[in-house]
Amino acid sequence: MSVKHSLLALLYEKPRHGYELKTGFEALVEGLWPLNAGQVYTTLDRLERDSFVESLSHDKKDRKQYTITQAGKEELWFWLNEPVGRSLFKDEFYIKFLCASHVSYDNKKSMIRDQKETILKDILHLTHLRKQMSLSGNDTMKLLIEGALLHLEADMKWLERIEEEL
Amino acid sequence: MINVVSLTKDYKTGKEVVPVLKGVDLSIKAGEFVCIMGPSGSGKTTLLHLLGGLDTPTSGSIQINGKELTSQSEKNRTLLRRKEMGFVFQNYQLLPTLTVYENIIFPLHADGKKASPGDVDELLNAVELKGYENRFPHELSGGQQQRVAIARSLIHQPSILLADEPTGNLDRKRSGDILDLLAKFHYEQKQTIVMVTHDMFAAGYADRIILFKDGVIEAEVKREDEDYARFLARFMA
Repeated sequence: MSVKHSLLALLYEKPRHGYELKTGFEALVEGLWPLNAGQVYTTLDRLERDSFVESLSHDKKDRKQYTITQAGKEELWFWLNEPVGRSLFKDEFYIKFLCASHVSYDNKKSMIRDQKETILKDILHLTHLRKQMSLSGNDTMKLLIEGALLHLEADMKWLERIEEEL
Repeated sequence: MINVVSLTKDYKTGKEVVPVLKGVDLSIKAGEFVCIMGPSGSGKTTLLHLLGGLDTPTSGSIQINGKELTSQSEKNRTLLRRKEMGFVFQNYQLLPTLTVYENIIFPLHADGKKASPGDVDELLNAVELKGYENRFPHELSGGQQQRVAIARSLIHQPSILLADEPTGNLDRKRSGDILDLLAKFHYEQKQTIVMVTHDMFAAGYADRIILFKDGVIEAEVKREDEDYARFLARFMA
């Protein structure tokens, strides 16, 4: 799970307490993925149980600090090196389309149109975000957005192709 | 500031009169980044040419920074264009026999002014073409040629940049770079940018999007409008 490994990546630099991990994570993803504090603490508990992190003494403000262990570093490297596959049904629209065909749903045209609209919305949001990342010099986020935009462009072409066949 | 009132443009082909713009009213604030979209033949490029004084309207008014463009003599229109405007085109329109450096300083040269080496250097750095000064356009990729064209459009520090499909001939990666470059200049120097495009990937860069259809403005939407994305997506889908 990526929250777990993101926390390990944040602890890789230096020990941090829970709230720092929450804000650190949100900074990493440019605020696009809000994390609630509860999620941070349950993840930290599991990481501690698996000996990937250790808790240190409390800091001056009585907050518990966490540090990454050697096993935690190895887990992080292992995860970083593991390629990520993509299942045919990872995109929920694929399974929707399959089910629509299965039940001979006669509203497929509007399904496709609405899906195209949603993709266009995503493209507009992401191109704007790309502009912001470009202006703030966050080249890594810019690369991620470029990847997402290429996927959206492919989705759009695919939907247009289906539209032709309907 | 650009102010357009009741603008029309007819083209004559033989005996036939084809109205391309049928009455356009439009106001663009100084420093705004506006994108004009619409199907081919909807009049968007014609509007851009009229705004730039590259062509004259059949009727109506165009004010550029308070000056009426349509009532100027050809000579004064050219002077106004050289002072206030920069142009970027889909096919770059660089002069093939001039080097990168000479192309960039060409607008100054045409105006009888000298280029300050510092200014040219700064622009070359900004468009990431330092070291390419003595190359010729044919030695460059499309993306590089468009970056030269952008540098050329800004060398005289115009207050208005008119861009006609600036990413039209470029692949996704190169067009992203060009849009980033325009965004950077816009952010730092606050030019007014009017960009004609049919590329939805470019639309997200603008503050306001104006949608043309059959020679009139059909709709417009601002980035801060609540249903901005839904509205545009519906229009484009």
